[in-house]
Amino acid sequence: MKICNQISRFFCLFCSVTILLMVSSCGKVEQTKSTGQEAKRFRIALIMKSLANEFFKTMEDGAKVHQVQHTQDYELLSNGIRNEQDVMGQNAMVEQMIAQKVDAIVIAPADSKALISVCKRAQDAGIVVVNIDNKFDRATLEGKQAKIPFVGPDNRKGARLAGEYLAKQLKTGNEVAIIEGMPGAFNGEQRRLGFEDAMKTAEMKIVSSQTARWEMNEASKVVGALLPTQPKLKALLCANDSMALGAASALRSANRLDVIVIGFDNISAAQELIKNGRMLCTVDQHGDKIAVFGIEYALEILRTKKAPTDQETPVDLITVQNLK
Amino acid sequence: MNTDGGKTAGDKRYKTAWQTTGLEYLSLIAVMAALVVVFGIIEPRFFSKATFLQVANDVPAVVIIAVGMTYVLIISGIDLSVGSVLGFSAALLGTILTRYHLPLLPAILCAILAGALCGLINGLVSVRWQLPSFIVTLGMLEIARGATHMVTQSRTVYIGGKIGAIASTHILGLSVPAILAILIVIIGQIVLSKTVFGRYMVAVGTNEEAVRLSGVDPRPVKIGVFTIIGLLSAVAAVIETSRLEASDPNAGNGLELQVIAAVVIGGTSLMGGKGSVVRSFFGVLIIAILGAGLIAIGVRDETKRLITGVVIVAAVILDYYRRRLGRKSAGFGKE
Repeated sequence: MKICNQISRFFCLFCSVTILLMVSSCGKVEQTKSTGQEAKRFRIALIMKSLANEFFKTMEDGAKVHQVQHTQDYELLSNGIRNEQDVMGQNAMVEQMIAQKVDAIVIAPADSKALISVCKRAQDAGIVVVNIDNKFDRATLEGKQAKIPFVGPDNRKGARLAGEYLAKQLKTGNEVAIIEGMPGAFNGEQRRLGFEDAMKTAEMKIVSSQTARWEMNEASKVVGALLPTQPKLKALLCANDSMALGAASALRSANRLDVIVIGFDNISAAQELIKNGRMLCTVDQHGDKIAVFGIEYALEILRTKKAPTDQETPVDLITVQNLK
Repeated sequence: MNTDGGKTAGDKRYKTAWQTTGLEYLSLIAVMAALVVVFGIIEPRFFSKATFLQVANDVPAVVIIAVGMTYVLIISGIDLSVGSVLGFSAALLGTILTRYHLPLLPAILCAILAGALCGLINGLVSVRWQLPSFIVTLGMLEIARGATHMVTQSRTVYIGGKIGAIASTHILGLSVPAILAILIVIIGQIVLSKTVFGRYMVAVGTNEEAVRLSGVDPRPVKIGVFTIIGLLSAVAAVIETSRLEASDPNAGNGLELQVIAAVVIGGTSLMGGKGSVVRSFFGVLIIAILGAGLIAIGVRDETKRLITGVVIVAAVILDYYRRRLGRKSAGFGKE
């Protein structure tokens, strides 16, 4: 009992310290806000998908660095949602930003259709909206008569690049399998289509195409279960690098190191695998720049008031040659 | 009604106890066999040594956590934080190895201690303030996941070959994690059915008040169980990290439900008071075989989820009939 009391006392102390810290950090935010208004710079809200994902974290970090270099131009309000499916959370976040009367919203939508209405509302409230990373569905946009410019990479093109590079290592008619991303995610679909484009052109045989929900462990399970039934498999095309890592570990467990793995995203862990030959290539869509491109474009629209159009950002193939 | 029948006839009960033990595993083994046969017919290549080795490779981490979860459910608690604690321990392990370059053994020790500490906190908080473990571990689910992302800065940490040695070492055809998992299941079952601690767990889960009134403090038992599951989650983390040679900040996301489903398929009651570690082990195997089979025959993702759900419910329903049958033939209520 005595110990329990001590623990509870410690807990109370811990909680009060945490609250104090939170209060003091809130104070700091207020300060920057007030100085921001004095300087009359733009306020830009960056609304991301899950910051639990390395790719979006990189994207946000890139934006933060850019903001520090351009403090006089704009103030950045950066927010992410809990996980990549939290459409409701993201919707609420856009509402908050409308209420806060920001000048521009740069958004990586969790869903390519569900977020259009709220973004249209933001536009109607006079806010510049720029769509990054995950492209809004064109038909739905037209249906709502909304025009939201998209700034971002062409995932399908990126996947095709990687697929074409892989095809050079294979022979016509070889068996390959695709490990897909989260079902329904637009970029995942685009990558799958890009892989398929490349494989069809090179006349490879796609024997299986299954999702591993973007996850490393899931991919390791899927590939592990796939291997016994596909003895002639020559390559695995993974829609992101985490899944490629999982695939590589499953190949090692099953002693099938002859199967070639390719990925997408160029995360640091994948670079290690490419260097030691367990992955063939990945695709860099310059995650650190995507949000920056979106912000710069939003600033441009704010300053010049010009009519927004879609902007394509670069995608590059990463192989062992680039990494040397 | 039948409850007293068996208690009067001593030797009859002894004989039927054997029968019930056989019966206890029968329904689970039947489900497993049925799955293997069905998938084997649809996709003949599923029925191969490679498939079974792959399943054996896949399950150790989940099996180890399922042992802990069986204990937690027996004391009529629940632990929703296992996935996050696994993620946190894995993240610590990866970071310690790559950023501070500590040798493997101390790094693993740190990771396991961290997991046990998370469990200890779960136990202490729910016991001290008499809070339902559902809410305390829900809090820990968020805390540990947050800490994981802080430690890894939301980046996948690539560790490399040195840690992979654990998973790739094989003794008598079985990987080290598989052997470890089997050992933990055996020890887990012995602790549950043969030790005082095991008896206390069942007693606490059946009637905590009665335990208190008979002069036994239930609190250390509860704290102990939560510490054990924390520790086991961390052991699972070491295994997963070794298998993937990397720690993923999202590792173990949603694992808690997978483990609870497996344990419940194994017939452990969510109401507490009864359960079996070996049966939980079968539960994990059923889910793993189902998963592997569905991938092997290559059904669409939505169908996969639908079938998994149906099998979970069907397995539990089958278990209901097994228990009724067991009760009739054995002539007493409790297994």
